[in-house]
Amino acid sequence: MMSSRKRIGALLVVAIAGFLAALAGSIHSARAAGPTLTIWVDQSRKDAVTQVANQWAAKNAGVTVNVVVKDFGSIRDNLGTVDASTAPDVIVGAHDWTGQLAANGLVEPIYLSAAVKKQFPAYTLNAFSYGVAVKKLYGVPTQIENIGLVVNTGLVKVPTTFAQLEQEALAYKKKVHGAVGIAVQQGSGGDAYHMYPFFSGLGGYIFGTNSAGNLDPSNIGVANKAFLQNSSLITKWNKEGLINSAVDSSTAQNAFLKKQAAFWITGPWNSQLLEQSGIKFKVVQMPKIVDPSVPFLGVQGFMVTKYADPHGVGGLAEDFVANYISTPSAQLALALANGRYPANTVAGKSVHDPVLAEFGTAGTGGVPMPNIPQMNSVWSDLGAAWVKATKGAGATPAKQAFIAAARSIADKIG
Amino acid sequence: MSATTTAPAPPATAPPRGALGPRLISAFSGTTGLVLKLACLAVLNAFAGWALFVLLSRHHWLASALLIVATLGIDAVYLGPRALPLKFLIPGTIFLLAFQVYPIIYTVEVAFTNYSTGHIITKPDAIKQIELTSLQPPANGQTYTMSVAKDSGGHVVLLLRDDATKKLYVGTTKGITPLPPSSVHSTASGITSAKGYTVLHGLALFDLDQYLQTYVVPVGNAGIRPVSTTTAAELEPTLRYDAKRDAFVRISDGEVFRDNGRGEYAHGADALEPGWKTGAGFRNFSRIAHDPLVRQPFIRVFAWTFVFAAGTVFLSFSLGLFLAVALDKRGLRFQRLYRSILVIPYAIPAFLSVLVWAGLLNDQFGLINRLFHLGVPWLFDANWAKVSCILVSGWLTVPYFFLVSMGALQAIPEELTEAARVDGGGPLQIFRRVTLPLLLAAVGPLLVSSFAFNFNNFNNIYFLTAGGPPQSNSSIAGSTDILISYTYKLALAAGKGNDFALASAMTIIIFFITAALSTIGFARTRVLSNA
Repeated sequence: MMSSRKRIGALLVVAIAGFLAALAGSIHSARAAGPTLTIWVDQSRKDAVTQVANQWAAKNAGVTVNVVVKDFGSIRDNLGTVDASTAPDVIVGAHDWTGQLAANGLVEPIYLSAAVKKQFPAYTLNAFSYGVAVKKLYGVPTQIENIGLVVNTGLVKVPTTFAQLEQEALAYKKKVHGAVGIAVQQGSGGDAYHMYPFFSGLGGYIFGTNSAGNLDPSNIGVANKAFLQNSSLITKWNKEGLINSAVDSSTAQNAFLKKQAAFWITGPWNSQLLEQSGIKFKVVQMPKIVDPSVPFLGVQGFMVTKYADPHGVGGLAEDFVANYISTPSAQLALALANGRYPANTVAGKSVHDPVLAEFGTAGTGGVPMPNIPQMNSVWSDLGAAWVKATKGAGATPAKQAFIAAARSIADKIG
Repeated sequence: MSATTTAPAPPATAPPRGALGPRLISAFSGTTGLVLKLACLAVLNAFAGWALFVLLSRHHWLASALLIVATLGIDAVYLGPRALPLKFLIPGTIFLLAFQVYPIIYTVEVAFTNYSTGHIITKPDAIKQIELTSLQPPANGQTYTMSVAKDSGGHVVLLLRDDATKKLYVGTTKGITPLPPSSVHSTASGITSAKGYTVLHGLALFDLDQYLQTYVVPVGNAGIRPVSTTTAAELEPTLRYDAKRDAFVRISDGEVFRDNGRGEYAHGADALEPGWKTGAGFRNFSRIAHDPLVRQPFIRVFAWTFVFAAGTVFLSFSLGLFLAVALDKRGLRFQRLYRSILVIPYAIPAFLSVLVWAGLLNDQFGLINRLFHLGVPWLFDANWAKVSCILVSGWLTVPYFFLVSMGALQAIPEELTEAARVDGGGPLQIFRRVTLPLLLAAVGPLLVSSFAFNFNNFNNIYFLTAGGPPQSNSSIAGSTDILISYTYKLALAAGKGNDFALASAMTIIIFFITAALSTIGFARTRVLSNA
């Protein structure tokens, strides 16, 4: 037991510690006099964004930039739950988040001048636009990416028609024990993204557009007439073993790198791996099946959040995103640091990486992934339809699988 | 038998060097202990002081009050001579409140709201956001390069340069007037100076941020508004907020969008985005009961969940017990080695093992089919996928039951089996009549808790099959989806974005199902131990 004097002394110590901490806290918060712009980025973009943001801040004396690293997916998910006082003013994001973030009221419209808009391909701006009644631009695109058909030119010729591709892939599969036809990843969960060139080549589409030019979630093209007519080809490919849903991402990658496949469908995130492998390769768009076999296009960019205004940096955040991130020099720095092609066409002229350029050409005519929140309902069903239709023996006839998927998607969207 | 009911708890591993405890206690009493205690409390108080400051600056009054009471309470308990039991209970209680009670309260709260995509922010924020996004450039609307300045009277004005025509204007809240080019100096980035105006830079400009957001230079029906610190655009509102009626009016046709009580302004089926988070009563629960999309696969998913959990527990317990009995033999060589090997699956993070298993079971390229020249569609056939799920979950749980059974076996007094042997019982008979009942009394509750755990074992299902393979008739639930993974798909990967409220409601229902099953299970084990 303590004596009462000891106890009073102890209480004093404890109270003083608490008081000092409170004081330290208040000093800390009083320090930042000028405005601070908080930016959420993912690890891979941190250095490039920090550099570009500091260049911008240097032109706006008194502004501090605070770059916070987040897991890419959590940037979207945490934006709705973050405490307003620590919330970001600007985020890096993917274009297909636009619908969800805008519908949640978490991002602000961005206004670009006609001269700046002209420097961007129309689809990249469209990809970041969303609105039920009034369509608004919510992001400035910085980089684009899409998948392409990677051909091992040491093993086969680059096919110019789909028939050639089919023939070469099957011939190689026959020649090499345990080989796969076209290495395209699915796995038991399915992968509608990597299957999209086949889907579009057969006449499939996800959502149609309404008269206002907006994506229409009630017009689902997963089992449209033209596609269903062509879908017997899927059944044929399944029988031949051209594509098989048991191939997942690591199987596909290993198959191509170990010469167990002459064709691989993948994107620029694997370009370094490809270059290091020593394999002679070329990236092209998959040849036209019935319609052009275009890939999904992914666009990444910067958005201004709803927290910027209450933080008193609304104007600065818009200036950074709309007037600085859109410039060719910033675009080039950001895209190259990430191994992607810049969205700004002026910046694109100074990219001389042949692989990036080939991936860029492979995306010609591609379709941006739908950016409306209803897209959430599509991925798993569309992927599952491909899994069912291409699982080798015992596969569901393609027509049946895609009709079921379309019905399920419509049910879920309601 | 009644004497043994309380005895065989899991292995009593109290170290024989019991002196350690008392030695520790004596080391921390006296002056050392007092100093250590005061240091800990001081750190705690410092942390509380800092937290209090943050809470007060954000106007969280209730939380601040609770923090003060809690901190003072903790100080009083640890500084005072009384309340010895509390000194031991407080840390656990705090963690219980933070990590168990609070999430439960939060989940229940969310279940009674409409928290979902489009209903995330508050109503005032939503109104502001609707107003902002309703602005539209009129036909031939211009964009401007802008500098903010003050006129001779100290009023804020906008010095504007039309991006297309390069004409110069000064904009005020009354309208725009042309600026004579001769009085203006401008560069590519904007107007740097103008006669009669002071151009604002740096902090003088940034401080005006919130003021500029409401600044409108009227031009016809539209207005020129600052859209960043250096640019402005001609914009026209398409909706007008009527505060008196709490409704939005569409300017083009006078259509009225009213608060429909479900967190959105709507005109018929036409709702404005964004909406806001608001109470929803029992709507989420009634959706679960009435929505065919939710209801139709529920029974099937529930049945499989039960089979999955029960199968996993049965498989892992019987195998674990078998191994424990087999390795219990005295004088067995390498006993420790065998035991260590058997525990390995337990030491690897479960989700990692599951991912490895997903690779091993791949039907074309997986090791298992290739090694044994099997053609089993482990993950692609509905029934085989179910078998795979139980096998993998069982494999992950065997070490647990192996350890538990081993401990429980050692706690069974040898006299009992000895006596049974003397009475002429065979090994099987002894095991069935003596060992097993005693063992079950000890591990019964663990069987129930393992069942409850596997009932909600999201990781195993999600990483192994992701609920697949898909069902042939269209529905969200795949063949191996258990209730919790089905909830995930239904609420977070279907419809229009994420429906957290529906997910919370489903979770509460699953909680009651699990609780009911566990209660029945525990009641059964009590019967068992009283037998």
